Amino acid sequence: MAIIEAKNLYKEYRQGSKTIKAVDGINLKIEKGEFLVILGPSGCGKTTFLQLLGGLESPTSGEILIDGVDITKIKERRLAKIRRDKIGFIFQSFNLIPTLTASQNVEAAIAHQKKNRVERVKKMLEKVGIASRANHLPGLLSGGEQQRVAIARALINEPSIILADEPTGNLDSKTGEEILSLLRELNKKFQQTIVLVTHSEYAKKFADRVIKMRDGKITSS
Amino acid sequence: MFYLQYLKAELTKRLGKTITISLGLGITSAIIIAIVSVSQGLSSTQKKVLNPLENVGTDLVVTRSISQEEMRTLDEATRTEFAQENRITTDLSKLGKAGDNFKLDTFLSGSMLSFSTDELKKIDPKLVKDYAGGLILNVMHQEGKIPEIVAEFKTQEQEMEIAPLSAEEEKAINDARTKAMEELKAKGIDPRSDEGRQYIRAAVNAVTPERMKKFRVPAQTFRQAINMPQTDIKTENFTVAGVDLSKTEIGLILKDQVVQGNYFAKEDDAVVNGSYAQKKGLKIGDKINLANKEFSVVGFVEPKLYAYPADIYLPLNSLQKLAAKENRINIVLIKSSNASSVEETSKKLSELFPGAKVSDSADLAKQVTGSLINAANLTSKFVGLVSLIVILAGFIIVSLLSLLSLNKRVNELGTLKAIGWSDMLVVRQVFLENLTLGVLGGLLGVGLGMLFIYITNRFDISLTANFLGGEPMREVARRFLGETGAKVATVKLKIDYSYLVMLIGGGVALLGSILAGGVSAFRTIKLKPSEALRRVE
Repeated sequence: MAIIEAKNLYKEYRQGSKTIKAVDGINLKIEKGEFLVILGPSGCGKTTFLQLLGGLESPTSGEILIDGVDITKIKERRLAKIRRDKIGFIFQSFNLIPTLTASQNVEAAIAHQKKNRVERVKKMLEKVGIASRANHLPGLLSGGEQQRVAIARALINEPSIILADEPTGNLDSKTGEEILSLLRELNKKFQQTIVLVTHSEYAKKFADRVIKMRDGKITSS
Repeated sequence: MFYLQYLKAELTKRLGKTITISLGLGITSAIIIAIVSVSQGLSSTQKKVLNPLENVGTDLVVTRSISQEEMRTLDEATRTEFAQENRITTDLSKLGKAGDNFKLDTFLSGSMLSFSTDELKKIDPKLVKDYAGGLILNVMHQEGKIPEIVAEFKTQEQEMEIAPLSAEEEKAINDARTKAMEELKAKGIDPRSDEGRQYIRAAVNAVTPERMKKFRVPAQTFRQAINMPQTDIKTENFTVAGVDLSKTEIGLILKDQVVQGNYFAKEDDAVVNGSYAQKKGLKIGDKINLANKEFSVVGFVEPKLYAYPADIYLPLNSLQKLAAKENRINIVLIKSSNASSVEETSKKLSELFPGAKVSDSADLAKQVTGSLINAANLTSKFVGLVSLIVILAGFIIVSLLSLLSLNKRVNELGTLKAIGWSDMLVVRQVFLENLTLGVLGGLLGVGLGMLFIYITNRFDISLTANFLGGEPMREVARRFLGETGAKVATVKLKIDYSYLVMLIGGGVALLGSILAGGVSAFRTIKLKPSEALRRVE
């Protein structure tokens, strides 16, 4: 059974009098442990599609099944829990909380847990290679370091799915490559499903499967 | 707890915001505390002044005071009495040779006509728990050199001096007045109405001896300076009161009002009003000269009977002798035997003393004007409105600041949602931050408010209360002396630290932050994480 399944997914926005079809009838199955790269120019609807998959956005119509559960039909509380336990997000602009240190940012994702938070965070920071910067505020870290912290935050709950939105967009190509290798390595090691949307072709070489998107539709797979 | 660590990080890492918002809340609550405290201070001070009788163990005062309005419609007997009690004739030549120094004190009853102490015997001991007589006189003090340019002149015959009423005549007049009042009452006419007053006047005039109506002062020869050099003779006015020393619980001043020195011990002791002493530079042990008699200042007093303040207090007997008013008083202080029967007592006393005025605290309160009343009226009128404006302004500012800072954090809160925080958790976090700011602001506000009260009290703000009761006397004084002898009480404004006010002030800050937190929380819930995240890009 596919870990993620999108069925007849549509998302429309109103912009003034115009209706924009950001996601225009997508059907897609993603298997467990797969590293999927979705390629497309900016404005093709790939970010919206990713947000729909993560339950950050609700579709105009269609279904999204995560482990067989249709997340478009459940309450906010349960959705938040699914996001927390099953999905890890990685953003282009890292989205770290500026007042929290690197380790506190990671800890925020497991704030609900009572035990061993500090040790788990420490181990995770070691895994992504940033343990030495644990007590720095995000403002004092480089872009690559910040993205590593963000990845640690996404992984700390041991989610089965990682949704990454242009994770290398704000990084130079060398650092970008490092980050992608790291994701690939983690994917191999922990059998996590990774969905990565990007417009840069070089991400292809890390992927198990590449699909292309244009105008809200999947054009090739 | 991670949530508390996060809270601490938010407050300390965004110190500027923390300080701005808690300062905003603090200033708002401090302003509320200041406004409410000042208004409370004013009204409690006002209450003290407006309820002057309570301070001296009194419910009612009986006087024969004449208001300005009544002056025009006085009956002949009273008018004559008034003229007699306020007569000032100065024949300087009788005081010594030209060039000699002279001092002259003239005692005037002013608007408070005197009556015999025998009247007190009429008071029914069952009606009244305690009472004390008093004599309050206006003193015109003249001092200087007897001028050289002296001329002799004859006065016209004038209706000025008069042989006092005999006991029978006085009784006849009182009886006529009482009878007239009763007749009016029977007819259902208010004795205080114009018609009633005229009726009483006619009745009194009917029994007034002829000599009272057509009295003539025999022609007199005066030798007096013409075109008196003004600079040579100094005139001064002050008020002297005689205190009934046989009473300890009731009186114009009581022992416990002495703020420095002692109460009367001897006949020639004087107790001086603190503010008068300050004005005159008097010290304890100083001598003051009144009508060529020495008195020693034994104590300073803060008189609490604000409606009848005097500058110098003497034992009643001493003042009576000094002013040649033996067995005369012009005020009776009365403590009713039963607090609830004050009104009834007042009625009975009015019947006992026809023509006299029986006043209670409320009557006296009506006669008060001055900065104290103005300030208190002003604050009582505006305190609610101003507080409301301040609260509203404070709330709007704090809400705006909160929302502004929230807008900057939209992305952050969206991220929290993305990593699995439920709406509840995010709202709780935002709310907790606001609440902490509210507590900080409240504490700051209470601190600032207390500082304000401390500083205000240090400034010694004095408020004055004028008593209209003194008006006719002032008129007379002005006419004869060219100076005023107003009855003014000066009261210091003292603001208390009230727990309740502090609580309200601090509560305003807390409430403001809770409301602002509520608005923020509402916005947070409405926020879709995707929208939040999109804002950065």
